[in-house]
Amino acid sequence: MTQPAPTMELVQDPEDRDTYYMNMGPQHPSTHGVLRLRLHLDGERILDVDPVIGYGHRAHEKMAENRDYLQFLPNTSRIDYLSGMIYNLGYCQAIEKAMQIEVPERAEYIRIICGEMNRISSHLLWFGTYLLDLGGITAFLYAFDDREKILDILDSVTGSRLTYNYGRFGGVSMDVDDTFLRSVADFSEYFRKRIEEYHKLVTHNVIFRHRTRGVGVMGADLALDYAVTGPCLRAAGIASDVRKDEPYGIYDRFDFDVVTAEGGDCFARHMVRMGEMEQSLGIIEQAVRDIPEGPVLAPKVPKRIRPPEGEHYFAVEAARGHFGMYIRSDGTDVPVRQKLRTPSFVHVSTMPAVLPGTMLADTVAILGSIDIVIPEIDR
Amino acid sequence: MSEVSSDLALAGVQSSTDIDFDERGLQHRHEALAGDMPVVAGAFRAAGYCLEHITCLDLRQVEEVAGFRVDYQFNRIGSPVDRHVVQVKVGETETATSIASVYPGADWYEREVFDMHGVLVDGHPNLKRLLMPEDYRGYPLRKDFLDEDPERHQMSGVVVEAEAAQEDVADGEDEA
Repeated sequence: MTQPAPTMELVQDPEDRDTYYMNMGPQHPSTHGVLRLRLHLDGERILDVDPVIGYGHRAHEKMAENRDYLQFLPNTSRIDYLSGMIYNLGYCQAIEKAMQIEVPERAEYIRIICGEMNRISSHLLWFGTYLLDLGGITAFLYAFDDREKILDILDSVTGSRLTYNYGRFGGVSMDVDDTFLRSVADFSEYFRKRIEEYHKLVTHNVIFRHRTRGVGVMGADLALDYAVTGPCLRAAGIASDVRKDEPYGIYDRFDFDVVTAEGGDCFARHMVRMGEMEQSLGIIEQAVRDIPEGPVLAPKVPKRIRPPEGEHYFAVEAARGHFGMYIRSDGTDVPVRQKLRTPSFVHVSTMPAVLPGTMLADTVAILGSIDIVIPEIDR
Repeated sequence: MSEVSSDLALAGVQSSTDIDFDERGLQHRHEALAGDMPVVAGAFRAAGYCLEHITCLDLRQVEEVAGFRVDYQFNRIGSPVDRHVVQVKVGETETATSIASVYPGADWYEREVFDMHGVLVDGHPNLKRLLMPEDYRGYPLRKDFLDEDPERHQMSGVVVEAEAAQEDVADGEDEA
């Protein structure tokens, strides 16, 4: 049974002369990767949207079925290259939980510091590029300047800038020294002042407010319909965060707030991310203050990583939301199935519910505000 | 026990077991028939649960299932966490049933199940490939999938719905 292949040509119904279809992407600067939106337009108003994904599919789930657990570890930070540390450490924690491996205290603290630093760098990149999407270049330069400082700090201990492979089953690969901790503390002090500056530069900017307020409302109902998570959900006023709901690692020892905002529009999502950066700084400061001495790798990690037979699920709060790993083990070195539940996948799938009725020019503002990372959607 | 459990029994769930959350990250496991899934999903939705993900497992070689299994995972929004996984066995010639009318978010997950495992989903509004190209042949996450299709590199330009002939190949376990 065959049918003609769909073409890239725009489909136009000859009977209907008032509406038309338009491709946004696959190559479009505001999609931050290769994403195609088929927009059905009436003038400049969007009637319907059909996101086409898969251009960056790299078969991570298939790869996981063909290599053992340790060999999959470098893949994890490449799923979402902007918060790769959280993915990398999250995968380690998933295997540790399944294997019941105890992680030394110091390693837990290092994971917290590195994970939260990575979260700030991811939010910073979002902040910069979002303003770029909206036409403001200044903030982009500020944000990338600060982000570079974080990348340098993480580079000094992990050896990589984006695609970290720092986690190990039972700890982390390298101990941090006092220079690292001092530079983290210095950065934290410096960055608190910068956030104030960002608020002055962007949050209080009239153009920015007009561009984002009341635009792209993702209400609390989307949480039930689509399981939207992360900053997108918290911007709708629901205080849900994996770090609080089911604390992994040692997150239950830290004092931080789940930042929420009202309205669920682009501006609310901006406010949530700005607030989260401050909360992350608070977590980092507590971790730097309390970090104990000791080993960073568990002394007795089984040579063969063979999680008990059956299903395992582990979730972490990535920069974009709930990242879950569903692992089906048959007791051997290789998983039978490893499903990766990524937040951006869900968020892009809500676009047919969010975009209709908005203006074409707001598409860029809305798409940017949900902070999508294409490789994470396509996996 | 969770509040939703009594509703589930009415919705056609066949058997339920509790799992140790600290070890597995899941609290409850249920088994259901494919045709009952819209009702089961409706019970979860009425109780305020969201659909975390749907995935498919090729268990033709692992268990004596002789087919696939589609796993639906539900969780309460926020805290406390109460994670349920509903497992539906789908034989090689059988179909799953769509729950996209209950949870719109299921739309893409079900398309992914079809795309990767070739399991058809009854009642889906728009069942077509999601991640792979529309003219792709074969179902990549099947255990007997062989990535040596010469036509993979030269786009066939034809949307093939019938499953391409596939050779049996031992699954990718590497004990070396």
